[in-house]
Amino acid sequence: MLTILLIATVTFFMMHAIPGGPFSRERPLPDEIIAALNEKYHLNDPILKQYFDYMVGLATFNLGPSFRRTGFEVEELILLGFPISAKIGLMAIIIIILVGIPVGIVSALRQNKPADYFVMFIATLGVTIPSFVVAALFIYIFAGVLQWVDAFGLERPSSYIGPVLALVGYSLAFVSRLTRSSMLEVMRQDYIRTARANGLSRFKVIYKHALKNALIPVVTYLGPMVAAILTGSFVVEKVFTIPGIGKYFVQSVNDRDYTMIIGSTVFFAVLYVIMVLLVDVAYSLIDPRIRLGKKSE
Amino acid sequence: MGYQQNDFDFLDSSRKTDKEQIREALTYWADTWRRLKKNKMAIAGLIGVILISLFALFGPSFTDYEFAEQHTDFANTPLRVEVYEISTDLYVYLTPAYRMIVVEPDGTFLYRLDQSGFDFANKQFHFDYEGEDVMVDYSYKLLDELADENIDYSITFRGVEYKVPYKVTSNKSYPLGSDNVGRDVLTRIMYGARISLEVALFAALFSLVIGVTYGAIAGMAGSWLDNLMMRIVDIIDSIPLLLYVILIMVIIDNKGLGTIILTLGLFYWVGMARLVRGQVLSLKEQEYVLAARMLGVSQPVIIWRHLIPNAMGPILVALTMMIPTAVFTESFLSFIGLGISAPLASLGTLCNDALDAIQTYPFQLLAPALMIALMMLAFNFLGDGLRSALDPRLRKG
Repeated sequence: MLTILLIATVTFFMMHAIPGGPFSRERPLPDEIIAALNEKYHLNDPILKQYFDYMVGLATFNLGPSFRRTGFEVEELILLGFPISAKIGLMAIIIIILVGIPVGIVSALRQNKPADYFVMFIATLGVTIPSFVVAALFIYIFAGVLQWVDAFGLERPSSYIGPVLALVGYSLAFVSRLTRSSMLEVMRQDYIRTARANGLSRFKVIYKHALKNALIPVVTYLGPMVAAILTGSFVVEKVFTIPGIGKYFVQSVNDRDYTMIIGSTVFFAVLYVIMVLLVDVAYSLIDPRIRLGKKSE
Repeated sequence: MGYQQNDFDFLDSSRKTDKEQIREALTYWADTWRRLKKNKMAIAGLIGVILISLFALFGPSFTDYEFAEQHTDFANTPLRVEVYEISTDLYVYLTPAYRMIVVEPDGTFLYRLDQSGFDFANKQFHFDYEGEDVMVDYSYKLLDELADENIDYSITFRGVEYKVPYKVTSNKSYPLGSDNVGRDVLTRIMYGARISLEVALFAALFSLVIGVTYGAIAGMAGSWLDNLMMRIVDIIDSIPLLLYVILIMVIIDNKGLGTIILTLGLFYWVGMARLVRGQVLSLKEQEYVLAARMLGVSQPVIIWRHLIPNAMGPILVALTMMIPTAVFTESFLSFIGLGISAPLASLGTLCNDALDAIQTYPFQLLAPALMIALMMLAFNFLGDGLRSALDPRLRKG
């Protein structure tokens, strides 16, 4: 809660620190028009009043009108774009979890065998290659040369492959690397050997005893992963021309649409903070040693 | 069972010194280097970094172009050109956008022919060569009855139709093609790589200075000051940084090199500060620090002369890993239109510029994109290698 408040405050004052106003363009507008615009958007009020107005608006999810897309409220634009982005983002997260973790486990269990080397090679590539490169390559090969999928938009189910793939890239690779290394660490522990020595099956040891502990670092990463997918969506939605919130954000940045920028930044930040909170809850579910409310270093 | 006397031999004199054999003492860095050399990936990364740096630094002096030099006549040329010999010593090349360029037999561009006419009904272009008409018939791909010929176009000159190129050769004027205003893609990639590297290096150094100072002060001071400083770091760490980098870039609105270096540096010192503080906390309990303090050495000198040099290993690793992060962030910002802007161009800007024409001229995007990927790979391999070479848990090996 404090973080959200802080973020909103910082963003608000940063935006108001800009020399010139939202209406300074290359061709100056007549003074009367600027005055009228300022009046309309309450830019003449004292800054503290503007701040409190904004905060009250924020609490009631009323983020004010978009400066550039006249007739649209910021929250309308967010609600318009968010479901689309959320759909792609969710697909990406599901794939990351369903593919990344098992791949990491398999790779850890076959340490230093060809399968492991192969997975780690792909994962290293995935971590290092930026998402827009993946997206561009995908469009070129599958939409350009092979013509299997559409290069932009989301009309057909197959059009989801590209964006999700580009979005997944980094995090998928990171999650499988993380799972592998923490799995290796856990498998060396004494209690695993004890469990094996007590006659438990290999399968049971891995899934009941090792995995729970190995997953803790992976769960920690889920928060940053949401942030990575968020920022990834800016690029991916730009490349594939998807009308999601990321594309609106990039557009508003290029248009200097200030209310839209503040609105979406706060929205992203809130989303992020909520995810981090959820991760904390997930923590205590996996590991009863960590209890909510206590700081764990 | 005891030993018999003849179980033992006298050493001959040449081996008398065996047990006194002394191994050459290795300094910390020599030891690191020795271990790094064994790691093939790290060496590949190191060579990659050196090659890319050389490419970016000295490459531009070997090309015939300036990075902003435009030749609109030769815009959007691909890597390979089909040269047609339409008359003795007259060689032409038709660009994908149906511009006719007179070339030398080896594929060097000479000049562009003016288009003199366009016959839409018959799908023909006419070009003017010194008063004579050169006709391009591009109906072959469009009409079903001609589809069997499997060519895109034919060129007719002085009544003779040429369907097969004289030869297909590499683009001698622009080794990697040219972009939409006829700039040399190779030269632009070299400059782009240089700008990207510059930004990454200085941003990393800048955040190094802030991070090391901040971390060292927090670690050395301890008690409430340390607590306060680290809480601030926690707060900064809890917000999605890239959003704020974007905000700052929007606010400053001056897309020079300095701005982006400053912005990246201002935001990415947090990890470095944590690392240095941790190192300082453990190092300051060591006896040599106590000894230095006994001798009356002041705190800043202890930090500067004793603690930081000893923490240099992890700091170096963090620095190496910071560079690819900065390269990535910079290209990301440039890609969404917030980074370096014209006339300068980083690799991200190049990708952004080429995005619109990805279907027609994919290479203009692929080339800088591959360059970014190579840079990231090289630095990451080197960083990974350095980390395992410096890792104290592995130092016994």
